[in-house]
Amino acid sequence: MKTLIIIPAYNEELNIEKTIKDLKDNTNYDYLIINDCSKDKTKEVCKKNKFNILSLPINYGLTSGIQVGMKYAYKNNYDIVIQFDGDGQHQATYLKDLVKEIENGNCNIAIGSRFVNKKKPKNMRMFGSILLTLAIKITTGQKIKDPTSGMRAYDKKAIEYFIKNPSLTPEPDTLVYMLKKKMKIKEVQVEMREREYGESYLKPLKSAEYMINMFFSIIFIRAMTRKDKK
Amino acid sequence: MTITLRVILIICSLISFILCITRIKQSKLKIENSVIWMIGSILLIIMSIFANAVEWIANKLGFMAPVNFVFLVIIGFLLIQAFIDNMRISTLNEKIKDLNHYIALKEKERE
Repeated sequence: MKTLIIIPAYNEELNIEKTIKDLKDNTNYDYLIINDCSKDKTKEVCKKNKFNILSLPINYGLTSGIQVGMKYAYKNNYDIVIQFDGDGQHQATYLKDLVKEIENGNCNIAIGSRFVNKKKPKNMRMFGSILLTLAIKITTGQKIKDPTSGMRAYDKKAIEYFIKNPSLTPEPDTLVYMLKKKMKIKEVQVEMREREYGESYLKPLKSAEYMINMFFSIIFIRAMTRKDKK
Repeated sequence: MTITLRVILIICSLISFILCITRIKQSKLKIENSVIWMIGSILLIIMSIFANAVEWIANKLGFMAPVNFVFLVIIGFLLIQAFIDNMRISTLNEKIKDLNHYIALKEKERE
């Protein structure tokens, strides 16, 4: 199946070359870097290396980046879209496991999860993740062990939902929406690294705001999602 | 309602009414967006002129003082306005995002 890896990048000049090298060494899928109007030399670095890059003229955040990637994939008839971080946290070797799950028809969305076989560490950083797992379990009945994982593969049907509904984000609340739409979600065990350079999209101070947004969205909006009529 | 409050209300609503009209003439405000402000100021003027009617309604509804009723109306009006503005901002945000995507995809095609 035609697969596209989308890599949202904001100020990732130090990480992006390594990420793309990793992708090229370990996979043979197409990729697209989405430069969210970076202030550093991300664009120049990509042009110099002749990477496949899409540059947004205004900085609009991670959600917008993923959405424009989905639009690109839809236009160019891709069957699978993988969301992959450009900061070096994700490892490309695991991507074929995600794609395999979708190709075999086991699921519509495959999540690269850190905690399928491993236990979630019980620290402050994982506290939010535990709460989100609980909220998803209560609203949909399915246990998603790593809801905040940024490594996800979507099949054609999921891509179409992203095109149709511009309020969908690449966040845990969308998983609830997809589950309510009777999509199958499966988790695949992966390893993740700590980031080396630059700042994450989710700064510590923003985490609280993020969690509150996610909870309100999951409980009051996504949980009320109706099934599609046949 | 005291006479002072009535005078203040009338003056303020007259000022806002005039402000609206001059801004439209300078084309800094769209007519569609200003109508609600004009209606609001007319409402205030009516309430301060016919203070007896306001007092009667406030009494029937069980307000402690008629002025509370006037404030409630104003707060309700402002809340609705704030909500409408919020919706407008969201729509604009969505439109700018779409344009942002459109430009990026077009430029990609041209390469």
